[in-house]
Amino acid sequence: MSETPDSYEAAVERLEQIIDRLDSGQAGLRETLELCSEGRELVTYCTAELDAVSEGLKELKLDELAAKLDASAA
Amino acid sequence: MGLPGPFPVGRYARKLQEELRRRARVQLVGEVTGVSRSKVQAYFELRDPEGAVPCAIWLDDLEKAGLPEGGLRDGAEVVIAGGPDYYPGGGQASPSFAFRATHVRLAGEGDLLARLEALRKQLQGEGLFALQKQLRRPVLPKTIGVVTAEGGAARRDLLAGLERRGWAGTVVWGFAPVQDRRAAPAITGAIQDLAARPEVEAIVVTRGGGSLADLWAFCDETLCRTVAMLRVPVVAAVGHERDSTLIDDVAAVACSTPTHAAEAAVPLDCVGARAALGAHTASLGRAAGGAVRGRIPHLVALARGPARALRRERLGLNQKTREIRAASERGVAERLGFQRRLATVVLERARNRAAGPDMDRRRAALRRAEVALRAHQPERTLERGYALVEDGAGEPVTDAAAARAAAHVTLRFADGRVGAQIEEDDERDA
Repeated sequence: MSETPDSYEAAVERLEQIIDRLDSGQAGLRETLELCSEGRELVTYCTAELDAVSEGLKELKLDELAAKLDASAA
Repeated sequence: MGLPGPFPVGRYARKLQEELRRRARVQLVGEVTGVSRSKVQAYFELRDPEGAVPCAIWLDDLEKAGLPEGGLRDGAEVVIAGGPDYYPGGGQASPSFAFRATHVRLAGEGDLLARLEALRKQLQGEGLFALQKQLRRPVLPKTIGVVTAEGGAARRDLLAGLERRGWAGTVVWGFAPVQDRRAAPAITGAIQDLAARPEVEAIVVTRGGGSLADLWAFCDETLCRTVAMLRVPVVAAVGHERDSTLIDDVAAVACSTPTHAAEAAVPLDCVGARAALGAHTASLGRAAGGAVRGRIPHLVALARGPARALRRERLGLNQKTREIRAASERGVAERLGFQRRLATVVLERARNRAAGPDMDRRRAALRRAEVALRAHQPERTLERGYALVEDGAGEPVTDAAAARAAAHVTLRFADGRVGAQIEEDDERDA
């Protein structure tokens, strides 16, 4: 994987393409190993994305968000 | 100036009053704002997004209308009947214009639906229903904005829905009143503020069920135009399934409940997604392992290839040698057989020729020739008493000159040879 996927759905779509290709049994050894490597990186990316929304719900109010932004700007 | 007049203004004012009162009586529908009362009249403005008319109603008429307590209040949707009127004022009183309402009632579902339908057609005609639906909705947003009432049940239901999704990202609340005349502008403002935050990937607008009048803020034209033009997808969950507000039409997704809105805002079931990732990881492991293991036999076969190729070649050569030998032997045998067959045919033909019908005739001719031949043999002549004269070389001497020349001859009789000397006897010759 040369670059980070645009989104979770893009990563999953590519991952499913890879699995389909591998399941077809048509990939040669080199391609298989490259696809597996790319697939593992995509799984790592997707897992990180899921982890990012699994660490506990954070609730902000709009005015708090604005205050936070003001504080960080100052 | 070339115009009629000048007329006394008071007379003109009364004329204006008469003319306005002659205008047709009609019904108007709109939202009540700015309610005030004197001892005898109530005043208010009736407005909608396109304009407003100042109205007045005698308290007697208002009582006859039988509105519920506080029915004529700011934000109420009402239908009034009456016509335009003009108060010319007086020496001390100011003139004023008003729509003189003689009847008033709260707007019913039908009135609101008619207005809603007209507005719906207008916005749809402008293509505003399609814009939000063309936006990409992230399946796993990290931050979502929510516009709802702070104390409403919709808030609790939405959180429960998110929890069921296994989603625990960041929610930015844009609390706003959801049911009075302040609602539409407040909701519009909150949506705009949330959409301005780059980290907000989707916005949910939600409130519980109610009458169409209760939900009327969500049919506000300004609010709906604002939503339609946003670049952030809006998920609307206003009222219950049977309620259809205008924000449902312009939003990216319309849901029947806050729980469904949670699923639309976070399309990915995080729990299921983790399980799917685990399955994908296992597939990748199997594919990588299988790709190597599956090729080992082939590689081993390749490593053994040269020896096997030699053995195969040797076997091939041996086989060819045997074939050549067999072919050679077969060739000799075939040639022998051919010659034998040929000899047989020749002999057969010879035998046939020999044993043919001409044989007896030929044999008889042969015997005749033999007899004829024997008749000419010298021996036969000698047997009859003749003698054969031969010279010294054994050649026959057949005349006298040769006999003289030979001088010495041999006389051959049937029973043997006798030498003789030639002597000349001239007398006898004479």
